[in-house]
Amino acid sequence: MKAKGERRKTAGGMRKGSRRSAVGGQRKAVSSERSAPRILTRAEFDRLIDELVAKCAVYAPVAVEETGKLEFRRIGSSSEVKLEGLADVGVVGQLGLRPKELLFPQCEVLFHFSPSEPGRMVEPEPPQEQVLFGVRPCDGAAVAFLDRFFSGRSDSSAPSDIYYRARRERTTLVGLACNRPADTCFCRAVGGSPSGTTGLDLLLTDLSDGFLAEPVTEKGAALVADMPVASQADMEKKQRLAENAGQAITTTIDTASLKRRLDRTLVSEGSGPADAVWQALSLPCVNCGVCTFLCPTCRCFDVTDEEFRGRGRRMRVWDSCQFTLYSRHASGHNPRATPHSRFRNRVMDKFSYTVAMVGELSCVGCGRCISACPNGIDIRETVETLLKMLPE
Amino acid sequence: MSEMQEFEPRIVAFLCNWCSYAGADLAGISRIQYPPSIRVIRVPCSGRVDPLFILKALQNGADGVLVSGCHPGDCHYLTGNYVARRRFAVLHDLLEFCGIEPGRVSFSWVSAAEGERFAEVVREVTERIRKLGPNRRMNAE
Amino acid sequence: MPNDVTAVIQRRARELLSSGQVVMLLGYRPGRSSAQPAFITRPEDASLLVFDQSCGPNLAAFLPKVKHLGRIGVVAKGCDSRSIVLLLQEHQLRREDVFILGVGCNGVLQDSRLSDSCQTCQFPNPVIYDELIGEPAAASGQLKAAGGQQSADSGQRWQWFKNEVSRCIRCYACRQVCPSCYCPICFVDTTMPSWVGRTTRLSDNMLFHIIRALHMAGRCVECGACSRACPMAIDLMSLNRKVSQIVKERFGHIAGLRAEEKPPLTVFDPDDRQEFII
Repeated sequence: MKAKGERRKTAGGMRKGSRRSAVGGQRKAVSSERSAPRILTRAEFDRLIDELVAKCAVYAPVAVEETGKLEFRRIGSSSEVKLEGLADVGVVGQLGLRPKELLFPQCEVLFHFSPSEPGRMVEPEPPQEQVLFGVRPCDGAAVAFLDRFFSGRSDSSAPSDIYYRARRERTTLVGLACNRPADTCFCRAVGGSPSGTTGLDLLLTDLSDGFLAEPVTEKGAALVADMPVASQADMEKKQRLAENAGQAITTTIDTASLKRRLDRTLVSEGSGPADAVWQALSLPCVNCGVCTFLCPTCRCFDVTDEEFRGRGRRMRVWDSCQFTLYSRHASGHNPRATPHSRFRNRVMDKFSYTVAMVGELSCVGCGRCISACPNGIDIRETVETLLKMLPE
Repeated sequence: MSEMQEFEPRIVAFLCNWCSYAGADLAGISRIQYPPSIRVIRVPCSGRVDPLFILKALQNGADGVLVSGCHPGDCHYLTGNYVARRRFAVLHDLLEFCGIEPGRVSFSWVSAAEGERFAEVVREVTERIRKLGPNRRMNAE
Repeated sequence: MPNDVTAVIQRRARELLSSGQVVMLLGYRPGRSSAQPAFITRPEDASLLVFDQSCGPNLAAFLPKVKHLGRIGVVAKGCDSRSIVLLLQEHQLRREDVFILGVGCNGVLQDSRLSDSCQTCQFPNPVIYDELIGEPAAASGQLKAAGGQQSADSGQRWQWFKNEVSRCIRCYACRQVCPSCYCPICFVDTTMPSWVGRTTRLSDNMLFHIIRALHMAGRCVECGACSRACPMAIDLMSLNRKVSQIVKERFGHIAGLRAEEKPPLTVFDPDDRQEFII
């Protein structure tokens, strides 16, 4: 796995000549003179949000009645924002708070077409400038992963994803450190931290009488440039909160050893003693798409055309490796036909495939797959078993 | 002219081959007038009509759907329409529960000898849909 | 300390596996938050089994997938046992494929509250079993009108329906956990023709949810597994209750009570009401 600093860098400098952000600043690491942490009272925070609302789309956690959960919703005023208690992940949960959908929507129109005008494709309006408040550090790390994954490869075997990039370049992520992680959280086991800044532009920490704001990028620094600089006491308070939060996460995973063990099963997929391990592990799995759709790094999609009364559109929609259709060939042959092979794919993707592809794990330890699994499958237990059962 | 008068409904009609389709034929050769609002899809039996067909038609721009088969007891395949009737009953009640306007989807029995009745059914269904207006709830657009 | 029911399940599981009467005991084991399905094949692992109010998953959903192994022992609550009956009715299972350890159920907890489906449960005790473990549970379910949302106004019902299904992310957890959904190829997965669009736009979501509910007609045992599995908290139970109510009122059928009954939508009565036909 790459060091954190390298993870962060990939997000910047994506495309030359990108439009200057409406909220100011490029996504490049903050310069030292602007990196000083600031302090925001709730009143200043509200003022900041209301100023932004006038300029661009602002998304923040809002309590949604039907689901009883907090969800990112576009807000029209600071009064709608629910940030109280948000740093307590155990109480608030994070199932509803999924920033991935705002960068990589579940269904996205790529272009419109019409059989009466062959060859003419009309692309939708470019995405709007957006600011997200209350992004969890694990989700920040996940966005950094997506940045790297979608930014293409230098040998051009995998071109950069222009749709993702268009949204990403117009997005500012304001994180909120988790003061009290949930019992499903394990970010520290996969290289993250409840107060990590990877992928974020600005990190807020709830000091209960206000927020400490630490700029990570120039974009983030621009948001709080006119706020008062935090005192030493504030910094110490934040430090204590971060340490306590970190200590609350006790899961550890030897990811390097795990990858070596997983990689030994690459050649023997579908047979041998390793296959029996996968079969046993996957028994409670019913191959629904909950874990993959809620996962902040799962990024598979399918492309589909739709026609309605002579007008068509090409769309991309999320797909899940848990579904039989995902790997079925046009011939009808399905190389990943068994339920346990699909279960295996998800774990392999998280802890082996993406390390080989882009040098990073694609599990950020957010724990959503654990809390949402209908049959209580816990990826931490899965990994524990794999480390025990697969030879290194 | 008001919008309601201008609105000419598009209705997809699933007609069974043995009775209602022949009934429609009879209406035609008897020169019986009825609104040109239906697009006929011939099916072997009303039992062939999956609720999926009906919803798919509504999704793809139909303002209404009519399903018509042989009278109970007259099914060419003996019991196809009886089984279909149960399925349609559940669909009918469920659509109502979900708030799809009553009358968007209609069912009728029309025999091969009932040309006038077929025309009457189409008139009635067209009038219902005209009153409801264009289908916006189920429409894919 | 294991409760009485847990102790008996463990003991019987051990006996059934040791004597070779079953090749696998399908039960529950504790998970980090709620109980998880357990697939016990060795007598010494029987001590992993538990039974309490966190045992939500409907284990009947796994039976068609493991029946090829041999005779399966299965722990079944009232609703789970009705699913087994349904699978028998629809010839997905033979009676001799399963050894049913029935348990009376006091309701399943979700987020430490009684699950929605259990609040209207009429059958807390198994309707079919080889052995009943523990005391029968008292029926405590209150009959609730299908969907408290049923407003007299079609427009309001539409708003409710739209609001619910528009949240769907099409993860198909509802389908995958449902014992009645065993089709090898689901209608949403057909590609030639592609009946249901793969997007999460309202019209595709609606199509999926109406047809899903229709496919439940006379087949839903109201175990609530789907609504507990739904990550978007869609009110699937209201739709399920509605179809059950339609089938009960029109055809006098309650799903999953007697193995010799035929599924109500495969049969007919010449005198079925047809007031909805022009």
